[in-house]
Amino acid sequence: MNIGGELWTAAVVAFAAIFTNNILLMFFLGMCPFTSVSREVKTAFGLGLAVVFVMTSTSLLNWLAYHHILVPLKLEFFRFIMFIIIIAAFVQFVEMVIDRYSPKLYYGLGIFLPLITVNCAILGASLFMVIRDYTFIVTIGFGFGSGLGWLLAIMAMAGIRQRLAHARIPRGLDGPGITLIIAGLMALAFIGFTGVLS
Amino acid sequence: MSPNGGTPGTRAIIFDGLWHNNPVFRQILGICSTLAVTNLVLNTLVMCAALTMVLAASSLTVSLLRKFTPRNIRMMVQTLVIAFYVIIVDTSLRGYWPDMSAALGPYVGLIITNCIIMGRCEAFAGTNKPFGALTDGFFNGLGYSLLLLAIAIPRELLGMGSILGFPMPYFSGAWDRWIIMVMPPGAFFTLAVIVWICRAIKPREEKIA
Amino acid sequence: MREKPWFAVAYMFAVTAFFSFIVIGLARVTAERVRRNEQLAFERAVLMALQMAQGKTAEQIHQTFVEMIEPVQGENNYGLIRDGELAAYAVGFSGRGFWAPIRGVIGIEPDRQTVIGIAFYDQKETPGLGGEIVGQTFRRQFENLKLNPGPRPIEFRPFGATLDSHQVHAITGATQTCTRLEHLMNEDINEWLRIVAQEDTK
Repeated sequence: MNIGGELWTAAVVAFAAIFTNNILLMFFLGMCPFTSVSREVKTAFGLGLAVVFVMTSTSLLNWLAYHHILVPLKLEFFRFIMFIIIIAAFVQFVEMVIDRYSPKLYYGLGIFLPLITVNCAILGASLFMVIRDYTFIVTIGFGFGSGLGWLLAIMAMAGIRQRLAHARIPRGLDGPGITLIIAGLMALAFIGFTGVLS
Repeated sequence: MSPNGGTPGTRAIIFDGLWHNNPVFRQILGICSTLAVTNLVLNTLVMCAALTMVLAASSLTVSLLRKFTPRNIRMMVQTLVIAFYVIIVDTSLRGYWPDMSAALGPYVGLIITNCIIMGRCEAFAGTNKPFGALTDGFFNGLGYSLLLLAIAIPRELLGMGSILGFPMPYFSGAWDRWIIMVMPPGAFFTLAVIVWICRAIKPREEKIA
Repeated sequence: MREKPWFAVAYMFAVTAFFSFIVIGLARVTAERVRRNEQLAFERAVLMALQMAQGKTAEQIHQTFVEMIEPVQGENNYGLIRDGELAAYAVGFSGRGFWAPIRGVIGIEPDRQTVIGIAFYDQKETPGLGGEIVGQTFRRQFENLKLNPGPRPIEFRPFGATLDSHQVHAITGATQTCTRLEHLMNEDINEWLRIVAQEDTK
């Protein structure tokens, strides 16, 4: 196992996951909170941080579960159930820990946690990890990078929408419509990152 | 729910699912899973069929089990039921249509987290009769599919000059293809336009339920 | 009875067991099919890379493969044997694509320079964009390509650029897929060239 090579691959994958393969703007995952919660930069930041944490941790846990339990038993198709259970259990556990040890943090962050369980991006990251056959170290990079990419996208969206709060938008376009157009423009912009790291 | 608290009539369910409460442009739910595959009409059709099937079957199952399921684990049971139907669909696709399975990639598995299915099970199937739940699931799925086809058709037509793989008269010839439509931003823009059109036709009314 | 705590656990267990039974059954039933599909996809790709797959049914593909294709030096490389002699190489290439690993075969003449064709047997790139690598228009470019000696036997140029004999056009809108494909193809081709050169000196 070439640690040096793997760390480099992990870094490249992480970089790609943030910019060129952004899990939200290129792969359309994690959009439900994107359109509803992204009005204030502060809220978006909190949600994004929670997503980074949960995505990295659950990607790792799911890697371990997949390669050490499901594959040896030839039950790969059970991964959907296993991943969802692990994600739900992990979020539940984190919620309990935060609630117990830091009510302040719970007040700021804890309300987002149930939202995250059904965030398709979290499950999506784990499923991508399986399809692309990442190693353990690369999965760390991928989970972390994808989370950061999602955070970046949602914060940018919140920032833009805060600016647009007083703009005159046609009635049918208000709300989800304009959010989607912003998302499209952002996706367009992110495509421009292709080729930065060859 | 109808005024007298029972399962609403079938006609009401159908129109609710298809238009009044359409999951995509009214509720803006559950687009994550399918938006990625809307650059080809055929893939969209398969994906929507899969989702409608899972939605209808899950609604039916949850409704059948509603009198036995303890209240505090009902969300877990719902998730389990949905996950199982998705596994069945995914496994079947992989065995009998491997090219399509490869094209749809992880998005079939992501139907599990699709908010529509969970939403309908929670909001409707858990408290209504099986036939009503099945109809509701099916027509919500149909409403979803129609909207997504409305996205996929312009994307494939303008981006690749074909529909369902068949080249279209003007678009596959003189038309200069809009590659942007085949790429992710195209999906966002097309959906935005569709939502705009639908919402302009039917602005949100305050329904006194 | 619904309210007793053990009921919840037993209920979950029962529901899981019931559905697991169905799902595992389905998986077993389709497992053989899946394996055969994958095998056939690989065999078809090898024959397509050697321009020998036209008009053949699945049965014929398998038959031809078994009769005429043998593994040769290196990992995942095959040779076409006609009348006991090596008539062409089928070099397997694989590596990370944009979405998932891309696996394919490139057919090369015995002169080790002229390309016969390419084909893919496993790719999950974006349909309509990266996925077009399996299409006729893209693959046809590789027929009669001349491999360039050096680190990049095959090069991708933007659509519309003039091409040298070792260059092909990339797919517009699928930059990432094409960049990765170029990289992984060249890596495996060079690996193969190195191995056959070694064999010669033996």
